[in-house]
Amino acid sequence: MQPALTIPKEEQSQPPLRRKRLPLSFIIAGLAILGAVGYLVYANTQANAVYYLTVSELKNCTSAFCTTQSVRVAGIVQAGSIVRDDQKQTVSFVMTDSGKSLPVVYSGIVPDIFQPGITVVVEGHYTGHGPFQAQTLLTKCPSKFQSTVKS
Amino acid sequence: MYFSDLGTIALILALGFAIYTVVVGILGATRASAPLVTSARRSALVVTFFLLTASASLIISFLIHDFGVSYVQQESNLAMPWYFILSAFYGGQEGSLLYWALMLSIFSAIFVFTSRRVHTALVPYVVATLMAIEIFFLIVLITASNPFVRLPVTPADGIGLNPLLMDPGMLVHPPMLLMGYMSFSVPFAFAVAAMITGKLDSGWLRSIRRWTLAAWSIQTTGLLLGAWWAYHVLGWGGYWGWDPVENAALLPWLTATAFLHSTMVQERRGMLKVWNLGLVIASFALSIFGTFEVRSGIISSVHSFAYSAVGPYFLAFLAIIIVFSIGLFLFSLPRLHPEQEFDSVISREGVFLLNNLLLLGVAFATFWGTIFPLISATLRRQTMTVGPPFYDHVNGPLFIILILAMGVGPLLAWRRTSSRVLWRNLAVPAIAAAACAIVLPLAGISDIWANIGFAVCSFTAGAIVYEFWRGMRVRHSHGEPYFLAFNMLIARYRRRYGGYLVHLGLVLLAIGVIGSNLFQIERDAVLTPGQQLNIAGYQLIYLGNIGYQTPGVNTVTAQLQIWRDGSLQRYIYPGRQFYLHFDNQPTSMISVTTFGLTDVYVFLDNWQGASSATIRVFINPLVPLVWLGGLLMLIGGITCWWPDRRSRAGSRFITDPDLSRPSAIYRPVAEGNIPTPSIAPNKTDADTVGALSEAATQSGDTCPPDRVLCVKSFAPTGGAANVPTPLADPDGTDSVGASEILRCAQDDSAEQRRSLGIPVPQTGCCVSIPRPSPQRSEAERVSILRPAGEE
Repeated sequence: MQPALTIPKEEQSQPPLRRKRLPLSFIIAGLAILGAVGYLVYANTQANAVYYLTVSELKNCTSAFCTTQSVRVAGIVQAGSIVRDDQKQTVSFVMTDSGKSLPVVYSGIVPDIFQPGITVVVEGHYTGHGPFQAQTLLTKCPSKFQSTVKS
Repeated sequence: MYFSDLGTIALILALGFAIYTVVVGILGATRASAPLVTSARRSALVVTFFLLTASASLIISFLIHDFGVSYVQQESNLAMPWYFILSAFYGGQEGSLLYWALMLSIFSAIFVFTSRRVHTALVPYVVATLMAIEIFFLIVLITASNPFVRLPVTPADGIGLNPLLMDPGMLVHPPMLLMGYMSFSVPFAFAVAAMITGKLDSGWLRSIRRWTLAAWSIQTTGLLLGAWWAYHVLGWGGYWGWDPVENAALLPWLTATAFLHSTMVQERRGMLKVWNLGLVIASFALSIFGTFEVRSGIISSVHSFAYSAVGPYFLAFLAIIIVFSIGLFLFSLPRLHPEQEFDSVISREGVFLLNNLLLLGVAFATFWGTIFPLISATLRRQTMTVGPPFYDHVNGPLFIILILAMGVGPLLAWRRTSSRVLWRNLAVPAIAAAACAIVLPLAGISDIWANIGFAVCSFTAGAIVYEFWRGMRVRHSHGEPYFLAFNMLIARYRRRYGGYLVHLGLVLLAIGVIGSNLFQIERDAVLTPGQQLNIAGYQLIYLGNIGYQTPGVNTVTAQLQIWRDGSLQRYIYPGRQFYLHFDNQPTSMISVTTFGLTDVYVFLDNWQGASSATIRVFINPLVPLVWLGGLLMLIGGITCWWPDRRSRAGSRFITDPDLSRPSAIYRPVAEGNIPTPSIAPNKTDADTVGALSEAATQSGDTCPPDRVLCVKSFAPTGGAANVPTPLADPDGTDSVGASEILRCAQDDSAEQRRSLGIPVPQTGCCVSIPRPSPQRSEAERVSILRPAGEE
């Protein structure tokens, strides 16, 4: 029969340990992870951040980024401006905002609720003249929580 | 008198009783008056009753089509089937807030009914905190967002639910997510109670852990259902878009996941108390932030809920929560000193800490990306956004490291692990990873990220499966058939093996995500009857369009055949539905056909007449694994949460300190007593031997037969240091897991352990247990464990 261990009395009543620093290995591992997170966030923010403008902001834009970088533009689809080309899978329309308008050409899948009068967000390059070449087209859901159709 | 008037009255009464509960609860706690506390508990139940009444009034208003109620008129119409009318209850903002408040009150009632197991000092503060949150929602419901407001004129018919919401997924997805958000209130209430009373003992930990597990499981379900709905209804071929609203739901899930891991470190080692409280508070604050973000329209989202007046209310509430929590936090900080120190990063707690940093890293990156438009607008005076590539590139690598840590963690012992044991344990998963890394490139998968991801996933899957196998082998060697051994493992050690199930689920989910992200193929075409579209070995032959009508809905579908390997697999009918009142907002009927682990996802984009259709086809490899893995995670979460007989038996110690009764394997030790192993009455001998030998397996089976294995048991942590607590895990689910394997030693004197560099524990004991060897008979092995007096 194995005897159970007896812990000497004085060891059971040790005073609480003084607060030591974390072991070095923890600090290194922690810093490595924090550094990795920081780097990933910084680098990818630099690489992926896209300017978000309204149509009028884009039209009034004087900075270089508006025509050199990919931008996101929000505006309202003008009534009667939608032209679909089923052979080329493209749709062209005009976005308006605050009296300014912007022709857009988009190729790809058109969301279900795309229609005149709704707010859309397009992403792509704008050369400063001609239509905006959109790579993505996002529609805002009218809302999960409120119907758009007001009677 | 309409039912809606009854609803308003019930809301006002509920508010009154909620205020009463808070006041009386705090008074009862500060004056230590049991009658006041009892009164607070009862009045919390009254709040539940009135919220049930209010909700019933709204539901009845819907069912009797009382379009005089503005909300009913907005969200339902005469043509809607009854189940969508019921779901309209939470389909709009007012109703969803009422649903939030109702669920909170129901959870409060569940807490009141189960609070006998919680330390009595905590109960009034928990109830008061829950009701304080309830007061906020009731004020919003009564003032800014009342679902019972009546229109001046009663219209003949209502508008109806948004067609996108008329989907079976929508019946369950929003209520689950809202319930998930709400359910973080209970852990938060426990955190507040603990900060006020300073009672962070094992009973508190157990309660808060179980409530957080419940919240985690609900939130997991909500997220999965959301992904499922997006995949099957929205028609863009994916299930997760890193939209701000999705991110908002993910954030509290991430912090809660971090908490569920770091809480184990607190349980075993008495460390990270401050950290854990911070995580609980963060989870709740993030769930309110999510609700605020969704309501305020402050961040543009595809979900883009209409701007509403409740945004400022939520912002104010969020500010109050943060200020209040930080204040309490600083107040209780002096009492939250850790009981032990960290030793080595190559240990279970080391991996938990790294896991926490990674999860918080993911949470931070997601939060950063979500509010980046606000940050850039403030700092650069120019709104900028980041899209899905940002999240993929940041969170992808972090999740890969996280999954790797998930595989390594369970192989490590608490406190420190010898490198020999570590390498031994790593062998099997490492072979699995290497096999994967060699086979996949040969099989033609050249993408470097996919190969790294799959190799890491197979490493972790290998580690988990090997853990199951080792546990089963130990039990099998004590006479249980393998299948029974598998069941008994999960039944006896729910927390541990439930956790492994969650991990395995996440690995499957990760494989699915990698597969569908990196190997998705997409093609679209305009087809006329007889034409075909070839994609990835599948032929889709278009036959024509079919239109039909049902009450309230017009439907157009395209008919296609899917061929594969020269044989017809099936007919599919992707289509569009047009709902009454929502003519210009058709919803998609997406056809998803699963072949093995690959989804053929067909979406009808456009059509002309009966004989031309524009279809888009996605080949989504491994997506079924996303759903399978998600389901497994959920099963694992519920397994961890599931109460069992022994957890109730063990928990009696918290309120009824009858410490003479053995709670588990180890009898509680009073100072100076020599601990003797005793076998709990409700455990079988096979369980005990199984548990101990499993502990031996955990340590890597490194003891030679003539040596002994030293098992040390830590007292669960607690603020109440003078109250002896049972040494084993109060859950009783992981008895030996609660102990720590120290080292094999000839003689376990404290002297020798010091010479081995093992700190002598302040609390707890070290018992010598001979390693059961296959040569000994079952009876002998058991008798070794039984103290002499009991024989």
